[in-house]
Amino acid sequence: MTQPLFDIAVAAASFFAGLLGALIGLGGGIIVTPLLVLAFGIDIRYAMGAALCSVIATSSGAAAAYLRDGISNMQIGMFLCIATTIGAVCGALLAMVLNQSALAIIFGVALLVTVLLSLRKKSEALVPEDESDPLAVKLRLPGEFPGPSGPVRYGVAALVPGFAVMWVAGVLSGLLGIGSGAFKVLAMDQIMRLPFKVTTATSNFMIGVTAAASVGIYLKKGYLDPALVAPVALGVLAGAFVGAKLLTVAPVKLLRIIFLIAVSFIAIQMIAQGLGLSLS
Amino acid sequence: MSRFTSLLAQVMLTGTLLAAAIIAAGLVWYLSAHIGQPPGDHVFAGEPLYFKSPAAMVQHAFALGQDGHRRSLVMLGILLLLLNPLLRVGLAGLGYLLEKDRLYAGISAIVFAVLLISFFW
Repeated sequence: MTQPLFDIAVAAASFFAGLLGALIGLGGGIIVTPLLVLAFGIDIRYAMGAALCSVIATSSGAAAAYLRDGISNMQIGMFLCIATTIGAVCGALLAMVLNQSALAIIFGVALLVTVLLSLRKKSEALVPEDESDPLAVKLRLPGEFPGPSGPVRYGVAALVPGFAVMWVAGVLSGLLGIGSGAFKVLAMDQIMRLPFKVTTATSNFMIGVTAAASVGIYLKKGYLDPALVAPVALGVLAGAFVGAKLLTVAPVKLLRIIFLIAVSFIAIQMIAQGLGLSLS
Repeated sequence: MSRFTSLLAQVMLTGTLLAAAIIAAGLVWYLSAHIGQPPGDHVFAGEPLYFKSPAAMVQHAFALGQDGHRRSLVMLGILLLLLNPLLRVGLAGLGYLLEKDRLYAGISAIVFAVLLISFFW
């Protein structure tokens, strides 16, 4: 395929990935990389670089909306960003020394885990404010979000384990060029037991900051090809925007099941490609 | 924080849209000079030196007529996109500082430092 057809096809595929990501609640970044690698034959390093930029674009847009609604907890987001940004730098440095096959295998496994995480039931049991982790109280992390009948206060549990899992989320983000939102949500929702709304909003704020910590290293290593980043970032951004609007009218439950199965197959394909097998 | 929150949201949204517009315009301009050529992303070759540091990138974007100049303009838009989170953290830190919240001004400063180091080192 030659230009401009190639970039148009890439933009269309990225739009689809962004749309899908928004509809099923995975990030666009983790879907677009396998698409670029498997369907377009793009080197995984260029694909990861482009995906990471698209992650920053969508996170900035979404985080702005959440900030305005007063749902995100800036303190929690900023504090945990220490863990994710340092993790992201470690991950990006690790990515620079791994070869294509290893990256493809790790990517496939992370994608499968992400699918499993998104199937998990969200926990409903909140921590009362006075049972918060003492360290969290010292850092003034407990907060409130606007509920249907006035502000709802919430506490924060297990800060240190949450911080540790956030570091891992950062490593994965830098290593694979993804937002690793699923892992951030795991840390906040399951371990620190924050309300789900707060978790989603705060994780959006953090995803862009985390990604920015590794994108500089990708840049210096020449992983960012403007001619690829441009159609991918624009496509995913537009797709995510349309997907967010469609969320209210689309049969989300059915779509989720269909696409999660499809994404699992893609993950297995990535692992197979990394192992040097051909499934098709 | 509330005073700064809406300003922060505005900056993030405007920055993203502005970057997207520059990228789109740059891409069209770049592609118009590369019709019929194959894309170069199948084999990893790294990128030329002028795409590897923000300073060199800005310089190259204004070096009219040079090889890769059209791609540099696209890169300028991408750079703007990538600076958005940096700005986000910087502004938040400034907001905390103005509210004399030393703890969170310090935490923001740590995050900001990690970002700066990874970008410019």
